[in-house]
Amino acid sequence: MKSSAWIWRITASVSVIVTIVLIFGFVYAFNDINNPQGQPLVSGDKADISAGETSPEQHESVPSQPVLPNQLQVTVLGDSLAKGTGDSAGGGFVRRSVEQLNEDGRSAGVLANLAINGLTTEGLLPKLDDQGIQYALKQANVIMLSIGGNDLFQGSGLLEEASSSDNLEPDPAKLMSALPQASERLQTILEKIRAINPDARIVYIGLYHPFADIEDLLIPGNIVVTAWNHAVMEIVNRDSNMTLVPTFDLFQHKLGEYLSSDHFHPNGAGYQAIADRVVQGML
Amino acid sequence: MSNLLPLIKNECIKIIKRKRFYVILLVLLVLVPMFTYAQMKSAERSQEKFNSDWRLELQQRITDNENSLSSDRVPDEWKRYRQIFIQQMQYYLQHDVNPNQPNGVTFTREFMDNAISLFIPLLIMAIASDIVSGERTTGTIKMLLTRPVKRWKVLLSKLIALIMFTSLIVVSTIIIAYLISGLAFGYAGFELPVFTGFRIVGSEVDMSGVHAVSQWKYLLMQGGLVWFVGVSVGMLAFMVSVLVRSTAASIVIMMASLIAGTILTNMASAWSSAKYLFMVNLNLTGYLAGNLPPIEGMTLNFSLGVLALWAICAGIVSFSVFTRRDILN
Repeated sequence: MKSSAWIWRITASVSVIVTIVLIFGFVYAFNDINNPQGQPLVSGDKADISAGETSPEQHESVPSQPVLPNQLQVTVLGDSLAKGTGDSAGGGFVRRSVEQLNEDGRSAGVLANLAINGLTTEGLLPKLDDQGIQYALKQANVIMLSIGGNDLFQGSGLLEEASSSDNLEPDPAKLMSALPQASERLQTILEKIRAINPDARIVYIGLYHPFADIEDLLIPGNIVVTAWNHAVMEIVNRDSNMTLVPTFDLFQHKLGEYLSSDHFHPNGAGYQAIADRVVQGML
Repeated sequence: MSNLLPLIKNECIKIIKRKRFYVILLVLLVLVPMFTYAQMKSAERSQEKFNSDWRLELQQRITDNENSLSSDRVPDEWKRYRQIFIQQMQYYLQHDVNPNQPNGVTFTREFMDNAISLFIPLLIMAIASDIVSGERTTGTIKMLLTRPVKRWKVLLSKLIALIMFTSLIVVSTIIIAYLISGLAFGYAGFELPVFTGFRIVGSEVDMSGVHAVSQWKYLLMQGGLVWFVGVSVGMLAFMVSVLVRSTAASIVIMMASLIAGTILTNMASAWSSAKYLFMVNLNLTGYLAGNLPPIEGMTLNFSLGVLALWAICAGIVSFSVFTRRDILN
């Protein structure tokens, strides 16, 4: 009977204390959820980050002929191409080029692939203000970027027309209309990335023409894509640590071989071809 | 009052002597290491992938969720859930706080979030379902009721004992989860900030009320909400235990309704009157974390009201039935 008395004393006192604590917690939670007290959070790190962004001396420390380190850390930004849409192996040019770099004796790894399907220059620009994206860019020494394809082809409504109707009217003017603004935005994007990470190699993947096998679209599309690539080249050339990887010629006569079934994105072989070019430009 | 206390004492000793509470502790001691191990494995994997850099991992998760938003195959409710998730995670990134920093306290916090709607109610049921029907099965109820004590006092003493053990179960779950996961993740983390106060308006998150609380306070709030859920489910199980003769039947009834609740929360967002069922309202800690409620229009106060109403009705039914019914066999 003595043990019962002890059991009782212990369980009773512990459970009463514990119940009071839990009721207190309940009331606390009730108040906290119903009347949340917002507080302005000033974090020191945030100030540090913005200070680092604009420090000019880092800009000057970029050597005129940048050498790539052996440890490559890749952050990827951009659209479905950077994501690898259409590659049945799922890798895209990013993982394929990283694998190839690893085989060639470097040690490369993808830090983060932040590409989003269907992204345009307009969508990418505000993302560069996100803390997380800035952080991922800062940690990298190679930044791969693929953007612009959706600006030109989706913005003009060409993608829908090409897939749905036969009586499409190729309108070079319509295609061209997106160009000036988009290339201006791309310039801002590249400048922003450069400001966030002054030392990284920036690899821009040039556009190819996915509709070159449609007779009516061949010439107007070629003109627009070339004009775009040219505009990008002019921006990229101003920075010795930026590269444009041309893909136009790769796809020009091999659309059937290199495009996936959606007739817009490359397939595995197409991505491999792009990856080969990326690696060639890096080594 | 004078003769209520010995009755409660009697009930508590019965619960302990019947070893129900030990069984619950044993279940926790077996299951929590499994969850800890699973958590450890996933932490190891993300460490390999992101060099243990949580910012990159979080940003990658945000991007993955953004990608799934553009897919047409994703149902609209999931999209809303993901949009809200993205905004919250961006908030954490902006303030440089790791929402999932691996340590014992974070594990306990996440464990309680997951345990509130099914696991802890089940543990409480183990005691509650047996508390009256068990006396019937063994026949001891006659002995209990032939004593010169009013019937409602007998039942009340059982109810109080049940609430006492509900508190004990909630707290021992927290303690066991913390002690065991601490072995793997370390015992630190009480002072880490967690953000709470996200208000969901449509698919946007209102950040004006967001504030940081340290994890121990968050855990305390969770404990209180879990306790409330535990008491309400306990009252319902208590009622079933009064109404049904066999313990097995009463456990099955409660279990079926709890599991129905988890299924409903996953698919009932279109059926809005389901929100008046008690089992879809169990996830109170979701309001603390700012999750999208399973059915539109549910708030903390609404859920508390529904649970309280069910619990009070259960109490009324159990007392009126128990005091009037004949005890035959």
